[in-house]
Amino acid sequence: MTFWETVTGSDITREWNAFEARAEALPTDHRTAWEEIKDHLSTYSDFTGRNLTPILDAALTLLEETAADGQGIHEVLGDDVKGFCAALAGGERSRDYRDRWREQLNRNVARKLGRLGG
Amino acid sequence: MDDLTEMLKGTLEGCVLEIIGGEETYGYAITRRLNELGFADVVEGTVYTILLRLEKNGLVQVTRRPSGLGPPRKFYALNDAGRERLAAFWAKWEYVTSRIDKLREDGR
Repeated sequence: MTFWETVTGSDITREWNAFEARAEALPTDHRTAWEEIKDHLSTYSDFTGRNLTPILDAALTLLEETAADGQGIHEVLGDDVKGFCAALAGGERSRDYRDRWREQLNRNVARKLGRLGG
Repeated sequence: MDDLTEMLKGTLEGCVLEIIGGEETYGYAITRRLNELGFADVVEGTVYTILLRLEKNGLVQVTRRPSGLGPPRKFYALNDAGRERLAAFWAKWEYVTSRIDKLREDGR
């Protein structure tokens, strides 16, 4: 099972299938970018991935609009797909699972230290 | 000029607001305008994320219009909150540029 499937509840599978159907219609370069965008955005996922649906929709809409304009993917996203995804997801301050791991680690360390310190 | 991106980061939202303030327009046209101005590194993706943020913050009025090709295009116009934000941007811009100019003059 992929990470994608793991986080996807069956109720939103339909929505995500619709995304894939839309992505199918994109030119090759845009479709490649779509795969890359999904990859980057997955780090911003909450437990179920539901928070990603509107963000993915926004990204896909941009790809569709720019493909219709005949813009090359480099004109659209430049070199920084990761930065684009971060901005789409609400900026670098938006919480991703790395933040949650970090928090968890900090909590555990604090608890252990508290125990040691008595 | 290369590598303007870092310097532009804080001001790009103001630039986009200014362009939208001139007339109702859409993402691609905004990107082209910035490119024509000499900001060659600005890509549509960057403008798009700014537009989404402006929309989320309630600074623009969005209208969907059918386009010749592809999905309907979103057109953006400033609302009152957007005009206020734009005025605030120019006030801050004046302040920063005047301070930096002063720094340079004093140094000479």
